[in-house]
Amino acid sequence: MKVLAFEQLAYRHFASDYANNYDSITTMPYHTLVDRKLMHQDHMHFLDEMLHAARSGFDGLATTEHEQASYDILPNPNLQMSALAYATQSEGLDVGLACVGRSLAKSREPLRIAAEYAALDQISAGRLVAGFPIGLSYDVNRNNGIPPIETRARFYENLELIKKAWAAKEVFAWNGKYNKFPEVNTWPRPYQDKPPIWTPAVGNPVTLAGIIDNDDAFLYLSWFGPKLTGQRVFDRYWDLAEERGKDRNPYRLAFVQAVFVGETDAEAHREYGPHIEQGYRTGLGSIPMQSLGLPGYIDIKGVEFLIKDPGDFGIVPKMRTIEYKELVDQQCAIVGSPETVTQQLLEMVKNFRIGHLVIMVHIGSMPHELVMKNIDMLSKHVLPQLKGTWDDENWENRWWPSGAR
Amino acid sequence: MSAQVVIKGPERTEVVKAWNDQIDVQVKVAGSGPALVYLHPAAGLYWDQFLDKLAETYTVYAPEMPGTSFGDPYAIHKVDTFLDLVLIYEEVLRKLGLTRPVAIGQSFGGMLMCDLAAHFPDIFSKIIPLDPLGLWRDDIPVLTNKLYIDKPENLPGYLFLDPSISAAQAMFTPPADPEMMVKHIAHTVWSLGCVAKFIWPFPDQGLAKRIHRINAPTLIIWGKQDKLIPVAYAEEFQKRIANSRVEIIDQSGHIPQMEQLDKTLALVKAFIAS
Repeated sequence: MKVLAFEQLAYRHFASDYANNYDSITTMPYHTLVDRKLMHQDHMHFLDEMLHAARSGFDGLATTEHEQASYDILPNPNLQMSALAYATQSEGLDVGLACVGRSLAKSREPLRIAAEYAALDQISAGRLVAGFPIGLSYDVNRNNGIPPIETRARFYENLELIKKAWAAKEVFAWNGKYNKFPEVNTWPRPYQDKPPIWTPAVGNPVTLAGIIDNDDAFLYLSWFGPKLTGQRVFDRYWDLAEERGKDRNPYRLAFVQAVFVGETDAEAHREYGPHIEQGYRTGLGSIPMQSLGLPGYIDIKGVEFLIKDPGDFGIVPKMRTIEYKELVDQQCAIVGSPETVTQQLLEMVKNFRIGHLVIMVHIGSMPHELVMKNIDMLSKHVLPQLKGTWDDENWENRWWPSGAR
Repeated sequence: MSAQVVIKGPERTEVVKAWNDQIDVQVKVAGSGPALVYLHPAAGLYWDQFLDKLAETYTVYAPEMPGTSFGDPYAIHKVDTFLDLVLIYEEVLRKLGLTRPVAIGQSFGGMLMCDLAAHFPDIFSKIIPLDPLGLWRDDIPVLTNKLYIDKPENLPGYLFLDPSISAAQAMFTPPADPEMMVKHIAHTVWSLGCVAKFIWPFPDQGLAKRIHRINAPTLIIWGKQDKLIPVAYAEEFQKRIANSRVEIIDQSGHIPQMEQLDKTLALVKAFIAS
């Protein structure tokens, strides 16, 4: 199994009740709320922490893209990943670099994404995992003005164009519905013949079927509460894979799980708890539900499905006022001593067949020193216990970059 | 207004093959007499008492925009641009064999109707936009996006001065049968999504550049308390359409034919008869 460290770049210094004053974290006022020195500091701490994880034994680093959002200030995560690609290359740290952003449906410049990813793969000598999410409705439609009903078609066209731009031996013309390019000849191309592709998704069967048919990997997230959504979404995924003639190779799956480790269970809850509760309430919890699916964004059959059975949303509808205990009970975050955390992670990994475990090491207001401690606790006490998982089944990992450890 | 709203509804559906036979456009029809075309707003065709009353004097033809017909949601994917849509509607009206009918368009339907009249100046004998979309002023933003991003329970407040009136309640009450309720809600959400293809993020497809081409006599009707498209837009339409006048209806939000049915109906009938 591969274990990666993941962070969102949150502004860590808001008053704890700030989200009560605004309808959505995507529309709150920057100048009123932000101190420039602290924003700079958060940008530096993000990079320091990710580099620390690379030095501490994680197999890879992961970033994602959120635009116009205070809980993850990475409008283009490739900028940060570029700094990390250079730093790790200079130090000889051959960690995988998983950009599980960039959101394709909203992109009006998909060829720029093709070139950026290729540049990252060149700097890192083939350590890139290319993530291609469709994109959240509030970002694709509200922030970027794409008519919701075009979201999926734009995603598929952009993905096809990027794959062709990477693979084409000759200059080609692209006369698409959304892209018109007389001459496409992307420089550079990726260092790897074909960078592995991970697609973040939330369980929509149409999206899952597309991932399986493309032979890409599916990335899912713990934020909805794995106790509520894990079994149903992962069962759906593996059932679909089987229906569509694919094996049960665990490396077809990546899972983002928030994990926070202390010396004891009590100590971990005391240290990390307030930040976890604040992080969920004022992050995902402060995006109005209707912003996650503007009319037209979800297919009509999907809307019917969600009205009948809203279970895929997990605890998201109550996230804005959620209590810490419920976050832990539903495993939105796994918190505790090394033994507690290891036991829960191993059970989850085995149960859901997770080949790439992407550990979220920071959330919300959590300060730098505590994040560094979490990374240390994870790498010293938990990672060694996870190493070698799945080795007994002898699966080939075709979704891991060829230049990474 | 009585507590119980009784709606007779359309009498029949005509299916018109359009767009090189790729799309079956459903046209709901009722009544007898001269032809009258009605173009529906963003949530799809809702047959109300206004259409019932019109059908007593006219033959009402109400085409459903591709994608908004029950059971045929993916027709919208065959329509890429607003120009495609205008051409599809022209084809449908031509194939129905209607000769210069009067047209009424509500909200998005008004925007579409005005652009049809601008593209094809002889297509309608008279047009009646009811609180139409189509123009944009930065200083008075049209609030259609709120229909897409606000909480569903807040939507009646954008459409009605008084959302408690029985006509509004009837419109927002889904069928009681659980299976039909799911289909009805999903269908309404999808219809909004279909129309968003042409009004998101702004209900501005360049009508301001073409509106001067309209030469049909035009009666612009506007609810004085319209929160979605402020009444100031009535004058914006009036000054751009040569042969036009405005009637402002007091005590009405965005849908005057529901909130002030009798007044709206009287104005419409008098204008058509004139």
